[in-house]
Amino acid sequence: MTQTPQTNAGANNPVLEIKDLCVSYGKVEALTNASLTVGEGQIVTVIGPNGAGKTTMLSAIMGVLGSKGRVAFDGTLEVVPEVERMVARGMNLVPEKRELFGEMSVEDNLVLGAFQRYRMGKRDHKQTLEEVYALFPRLKERRDQAAGTMSGGERQMLAVGRALMAKPKLLMLDEPSLGLAPLIVREIFRIIAELRRRGVSILLVEQNARAALQVADYAYVLETGQIAMEGPAHELADDPRVIEAYLGFGGKHQAMLST
Amino acid sequence: MEAMRTLLDEHQSLAAIIHAIRHMIGEIRAGRLTPDFKLFEAMVHYLDAYPEKRHHPKEDRYLFEPLKARTSEGAEVLARLEREHAEADARIKTLEQALDRYVGGAPDGFETFAQAFDAYAEFYRNHMLTEEREVLPLLIAHFTEEDWARADAGIRAEMDPMGGTRPGGKEEDFARIFSKLVAAAPPPIGFGSGPYKND
Repeated sequence: MTQTPQTNAGANNPVLEIKDLCVSYGKVEALTNASLTVGEGQIVTVIGPNGAGKTTMLSAIMGVLGSKGRVAFDGTLEVVPEVERMVARGMNLVPEKRELFGEMSVEDNLVLGAFQRYRMGKRDHKQTLEEVYALFPRLKERRDQAAGTMSGGERQMLAVGRALMAKPKLLMLDEPSLGLAPLIVREIFRIIAELRRRGVSILLVEQNARAALQVADYAYVLETGQIAMEGPAHELADDPRVIEAYLGFGGKHQAMLST
Repeated sequence: MEAMRTLLDEHQSLAAIIHAIRHMIGEIRAGRLTPDFKLFEAMVHYLDAYPEKRHHPKEDRYLFEPLKARTSEGAEVLARLEREHAEADARIKTLEQALDRYVGGAPDGFETFAQAFDAYAEFYRNHMLTEEREVLPLLIAHFTEEDWARADAGIRAEMDPMGGTRPGGKEEDFARIFSKLVAAAPPPIGFGSGPYKND
């Protein structure tokens, strides 16, 4: 494991490379010279406490927030990332709040995820829909139900499924386990591992460090807007500083079993 | 330290199932949930088959035994944990009998099961906390690289990711069972597609 400068040696064929990314809210710098790499077929996780700048980083990469620095996606430098172009090029973000259309059906929400591809003349959404249903049978069962009536876990599945409808080269997940029961959290992480098996590259932002490090190939620790540590996920999981700050021994189970 | 990470991950699966059963018992007691007996039986079966038959033997073989060979530190706590592992059959049988009474419609069936489960959950909470707070620091302190390599290889050979079985194996596919449990469990702890159906 190393301090910066980073070396994600497993990223032979980088899908995403960011270098010295900076984001400011007025005079407050929320992200300072952050650099990371996501290789093709990798799960890369960014862990860190609440307010460390994890969501800010994803928003800047996606072009939702203005930033300084370099973002190279799928081999092309993005001087100023813009959301629509990033989506068209195969980047997709599942935001923390899911942002589904609650009054629309599950299937309509999913089909909307393929809208950009449809506009580009690609007419494969029916086949993609069946692939998403194969991955999430629960969504197929509820295809005609309004998205707003679904449980938290189902909404997260739908949000991920909608992102997959765009056939992304890079899927960015912002706190996919947030607010979900332990049983569902385990299932969400099983699905994330399954997505990697299917070749999807994933940038995973999580506060649940233990689960994130278990599933990821490479990991970064973001603290107060800066990359504080990085390394292969299994090495970071064994690092005493990470154990002390983010993993601990016993505390998580105590909380789960006491509720 | 792959062995340690794997076993901690398995603790999370067990804790998640225990959390789910506890939640359902609370909802039934409050009159907000109709019991799904097959789901209870499947979850109790998971608690029997997964930790008692697979998880504990790995801990004993690949972590506790080599640790005892390295140091006498923690001997008392290790002896207690091994004794608890050995008492697994009796512990799960108590829970299964209580569930049988509940499923069979005994007047005190629900409360008997709820009490038996509380005792089981309390036992597991203490058991896992002891392993994580007292034994794992000893492993980190005393295991050599060779010890970790042997433990990692042994545990890797016995399992595949997410607690499933090895390809072609005849053991239960715990990953598939876990997904079925999540699907059938009621919201907000599961996806609510119950009642649970046996294969």
